[in-house]
Amino acid sequence: MLNVTQFCFLASYIVVFALELTRWLKRASISRVVMLLFGVAGLAAHTFYLFNRAGQTSLPPLLSSMHDWMLVLAWVAVVVYLFVTSLDRDIALGAFVLPVVLVLVVVARFAGDDATAIEGVLLRRWKMLHTGLLVFGILAVLCGFVLSLMYLVQHRRLKQKQQFSQGLSLPSLEELARWNRWAVIASVPLLVLGMLVGVRLVYLNDHSLAEVFAEPMVVVNSVVQLGMVGLLAWLLATQRPTGKQVAWLTLFAFGFMLVIFVGFALVSGGTHGRPPTSETTALLLDCVGGRST
Amino acid sequence: MIVQVVSCNHRSTGLDVRERLAFSSEDELVRAHAELRSRFPSTEFVLLSTCNRVEVYAAHADADPPPSNGELARFLSEFHDVPLDDFVDVLCEQSGEEAVKHLFEVVCSLDSMVLGEPQIVKQVKEAYGLAVDQESCGVLTNMLFQQALKVSARVRSETSLVEGRVSIASVAVGEFGKSIFDHFAGRTVLVIGAGEMAEETLRYLVDEGASDVVVVNRSPENAARLAAAWGGRTVPFEQLDAALAQADVVVSTTGAAEPIVTAERFRAVRRGQEKRPVFVLDLGAPRDFEPEAGRVDDNVFLYDIDDLEATCERNRKARVEEIEKARHIVEEEAQRFLHDVYHQATGPVVKRLREEWHDIKDRELQQLFKRLEHVDESERQAIERTVDRIVNKLLHPPLQTLRNEAKEGTPHGLLHALKQLFHLGE
Repeated sequence: MLNVTQFCFLASYIVVFALELTRWLKRASISRVVMLLFGVAGLAAHTFYLFNRAGQTSLPPLLSSMHDWMLVLAWVAVVVYLFVTSLDRDIALGAFVLPVVLVLVVVARFAGDDATAIEGVLLRRWKMLHTGLLVFGILAVLCGFVLSLMYLVQHRRLKQKQQFSQGLSLPSLEELARWNRWAVIASVPLLVLGMLVGVRLVYLNDHSLAEVFAEPMVVVNSVVQLGMVGLLAWLLATQRPTGKQVAWLTLFAFGFMLVIFVGFALVSGGTHGRPPTSETTALLLDCVGGRST
Repeated sequence: MIVQVVSCNHRSTGLDVRERLAFSSEDELVRAHAELRSRFPSTEFVLLSTCNRVEVYAAHADADPPPSNGELARFLSEFHDVPLDDFVDVLCEQSGEEAVKHLFEVVCSLDSMVLGEPQIVKQVKEAYGLAVDQESCGVLTNMLFQQALKVSARVRSETSLVEGRVSIASVAVGEFGKSIFDHFAGRTVLVIGAGEMAEETLRYLVDEGASDVVVVNRSPENAARLAAAWGGRTVPFEQLDAALAQADVVVSTTGAAEPIVTAERFRAVRRGQEKRPVFVLDLGAPRDFEPEAGRVDDNVFLYDIDDLEATCERNRKARVEEIEKARHIVEEEAQRFLHDVYHQATGPVVKRLREEWHDIKDRELQQLFKRLEHVDESERQAIERTVDRIVNKLLHPPLQTLRNEAKEGTPHGLLHALKQLFHLGE
């Protein structure tokens, strides 16, 4: 089996990101080709790495560890980026998506990678559903975050009557606002359903709710998801909020959620299957304002 | 082979002369081709007539003398019934390599009024297509025009000459309007005034799908004329505020001395409409909208003529930077084209001459080596190389002369002389 390390695809993505940035200065067909080649090479290495991990832990990446989770998220984001960029040569998507990918890959390096075996087919299926829903929910959050950023950059450009570099473009404000709205609408049910399936898992594991809600990740997730539900309710109740309002709101909300998610991955070092230490719990509670210092 | 072009274009000739020499319809072009065929039966022709240029391309492969530039000018004069003296001084005449390069530059839009404009490729294709239909084309013009279209494609893919929009209306709609709206279908376009620029912008908007055109003008007659031309409707000038509130796109070109829409007035119009984006193109000089009107809320995107002109200028500069690269490609392709044509004209004679001389050399060497049995292999090779060099050196002057002569057209006389002198046969 190929010995692929995280550094292999991280390095490829850094090169792709650097080439994306050069496109803002001067466009050259050759740099786009090189960029796509590095992107595909990075994705291939990334895929091998996840495949190897699944072989080592005997678990699919989604059931394995926080480390694998984040790499799956980054993998999906790269697939979307490469797909869109190969279809539309002018779209400046990489400058927005690749930093998020790089952050996820770097954070995954420090996140816990211990996998715990799951006994029983039923439990395994429920856990798969739980993590699947959460990962897709977080992916929608990532999309909303990136789309909001793109909206604000496009809005600023139009207000300031500026021009992009030759041959670079972003979708129209209308399109970005529409996709952003869909990202918010998709993320909330996915996250809420993910949490509800998590509650079901608690009972299947013979734990009490009180025990589970003592875990910081559950608390943080619940708080953030309540915020998301509030945002969705506001979006649906408000008659056509302005695109810029929605963009700022989703940027803050999703940005906050991503920071919490990434922060938790760094501090706790693993999934909530293993209770964090009292120090990390305290730090997390401080992060979300649950305890005064 | 002779390629020649007689032309008048926007650089050399005023519109008053160009429009008299233009072939304004397909019928006229068909008649012109028939006339040229009858006057010069052994010459191939393509006629290119656009609003910026009238060009007659002629190619001649036969030994008979080609039509002179004066004869082609006389054809233009007689066909259009325009005295020769009215335009003979402004006609450009090129032949050989210069004519080939001229066509390549035209089709790459290096010679266009708007550098990099894309329509010229379609116009050249149509001119060539019509010449083919009229049987005015032959081997040379087919090669020339097909190569020209390939060169154009190469320039477009290898340079940024055609990138970025360079007219006010195209920049307004393409670079800004399409970044605000997904599409223009179903949008309400309000035109205030009836200036030429408004019409041009409307053309772009309608091309993009806009269909609901509302015209407001102090003069109801002008409003009705513009509305009728674009399938729109008119609204009295007194109802401007209501029309502004309904509009998604506003194009204003009134020529009023003072702004007709102040920030205060526009704020009142936008009250309750803040969530709808509005794209305002103030193409009036002096401005029709106060600049502060663009800041009344986040969804107002106001552009005046200076904003748009700045973008046009930037795009023009970017295109100018690509000219050298495009000219280099044109030069290279013209050389390659001419080389291919010369090779086609002189190739068979050159090949036969070489074969003939090398056959003689081989026969003589064979006889020599039969006599010199003591010569070893390395000495044989040294002798062969020496004789090869002698043959090549002897062949070089006549072949070089042939190549040089071919650059000015097929050297029928010289080819004939070579065949006679060296018994090459037909």
